Amino acid sequence: MSQQPLTTSVQPTETYGGDEVSALVLDPGYCSTRAGYAGEEMPRQVIPSFYGHIDGRDIFGDEVIVPRAGFEVRNYMNRDSVVEDWDAATKIWEHLLLKRLQPERPTPPNKNGLNIGDDGDVAMGDGDNNDENMVDNLEKPLAESPLLMTEAPWNSAKAREKAIEISMETWGCPAFWLSRTPVVASFAAGKATALVVDVGGANASVTAVHDGMVLKRSIQKSPIAGLWLSNQIRTMWEQNEPKVDLVPTFMVENKKPVEAGAPADARLRTFPFPIADSFRAFEEERLLTEFKESVVEVWRGPGRYMAPGNEDYARSQPGRVFEMPDGSNQMWREQRYKVSEGMWDETAAYASAGADEEGRVSKGQTILSLIKASLEGVDIDLRSNLIANIVVTGSTTLLNGFNDRLNMELAAMYPGLKIKVHAAGLTSERRFGAWIGGSILSSLGTFHQMWISKKEYDENGPGIVEKRCK
Amino acid sequence: MSQSGATVSQECITAYNDLKLNKKHKYVIYKLSDDNKQIVVDSTGGGDEDYEDFRQKLITAKTKSKSGAVGKGPRYAVYDFEYQLKSGEGIRNKITFIAWSPDDAGVMAKMVYASSKEALKRALTGVATELQANDPDDIEFETVIKTVSKGTAA
Repeated sequence: MSQQPLTTSVQPTETYGGDEVSALVLDPGYCSTRAGYAGEEMPRQVIPSFYGHIDGRDIFGDEVIVPRAGFEVRNYMNRDSVVEDWDAATKIWEHLLLKRLQPERPTPPNKNGLNIGDDGDVAMGDGDNNDENMVDNLEKPLAESPLLMTEAPWNSAKAREKAIEISMETWGCPAFWLSRTPVVASFAAGKATALVVDVGGANASVTAVHDGMVLKRSIQKSPIAGLWLSNQIRTMWEQNEPKVDLVPTFMVENKKPVEAGAPADARLRTFPFPIADSFRAFEEERLLTEFKESVVEVWRGPGRYMAPGNEDYARSQPGRVFEMPDGSNQMWREQRYKVSEGMWDETAAYASAGADEEGRVSKGQTILSLIKASLEGVDIDLRSNLIANIVVTGSTTLLNGFNDRLNMELAAMYPGLKIKVHAAGLTSERRFGAWIGGSILSSLGTFHQMWISKKEYDENGPGIVEKRCK
Repeated sequence: MSQSGATVSQECITAYNDLKLNKKHKYVIYKLSDDNKQIVVDSTGGGDEDYEDFRQKLITAKTKSKSGAVGKGPRYAVYDFEYQLKSGEGIRNKITFIAWSPDDAGVMAKMVYASSKEALKRALTGVATELQANDPDDIEFETVIKTVSKGTAA
């Protein structure tokens, strides 16, 4: 067989400074971390920010989180979506950027099996699964890839410096940039000025962006987001008649169909080792997410859900059936609205048994209070322009009815003002809004003059990120 | 500088000065060059054209995506508004900067225009008002003149 030369399309086309920059985009969040190539429409890799810890080592990705002995699930971020464990953060990011995203590198000739010496066999090491080896082997693993990272607008100066330090020193990136998520989300909606309402997994936040800059005094956040909603569902299930048992999928060995409302007829798996609470909680979250995606809705009005008559009306409407992994199932009618109502009306939130449970909502934490406080933090002349340019992003805003309700509440809160809520129609654009924005920005031919270069970093130190990425 | 790194071509400033100082144009429409590197003049207008012609030009503006597909396109514009005061105290002129980015344009085009706007705005000195518009209703004459005049137009 004759050897074919590489076609031009497979040959490397990096012309740093042109449109062909092989930049990487990394968008870390509390629930998941997204990574991919600049210029693409979607992140190539989305993995949980939760990772497994077993026998003193860390393992990453959705598929490794399975029941096993001595297995714990951890997260490298804190609930404010700020990195807490930098060692784990570095490892999980390396797993994404180096292992999952980088093209396979040619095996060195002494190991590729074509040059076997007299002593025979090729050693089949298990190094394939070991990220650390990979990093050690390559001194500067990202020496050809500029890296754009996103961050929450309240990220600390220390965390920002740490991010550039790892990129430049550990990975050898030739260039680096940090983008604040509300700014890129606002740009992706075609607006240099907007009030960005971002309801994600761990946090709901409202941030005013003016001419592409975050207005610091406008930043408001609260935990009334996806995980909070999960806890509301837990409480609702506990208080339901009959009580709904939260049995995650991994526990169920087999099940038989049962009537609605009847107890489950299922055989549960038993494990010869204890299941860590953190693993169980992670698996429960999968089930709760499914319930949120298929059953929960936001009450669209008229008025609030708790207004007289609304609950009876909701009860009379067609419901949704949800089948648990163990086969038990029931129809959810008015509850599927009630469970999300606390986002808007703190008096409607389910109170769980524990006094200072996370489920508690105070008045200042609802989405509407965040918007109000955010607007009060900016110059009065800017407010009407911001209300006319609201950009909604984040997975939790995908709940049916969310935008209708937001519109209705804002109209009641700011009568006479022009209110316009913009939400990307494509689900993916709202789930990955910040990533997509970062991807476009870093793929622009002109963006090469924005990057913080290695040289600039070497001259100024990590403090440069505070000066440049405003 | 803008956040995208795009720059402003000299012709943008020349056309703006013709509008501001020489009253040669009623409006100037700007766009990004096809390679997204530079802001250039798309068209100018004046004479017997009225506001509606200008509005139609914005609404029908196109942009070519990377893959070559043609879709709705964002634009920047300056328009020299002239209006009578309600109070009868005479005529006012206001040069207004409009950042036009239709909601149904592609995300790439919207991103490029929004992140490059600052470069052009800073290059044009003496703009009285700035508007951000995202659907055809936002640039209807009545809506715009109300904002531009802060409600003082007749």
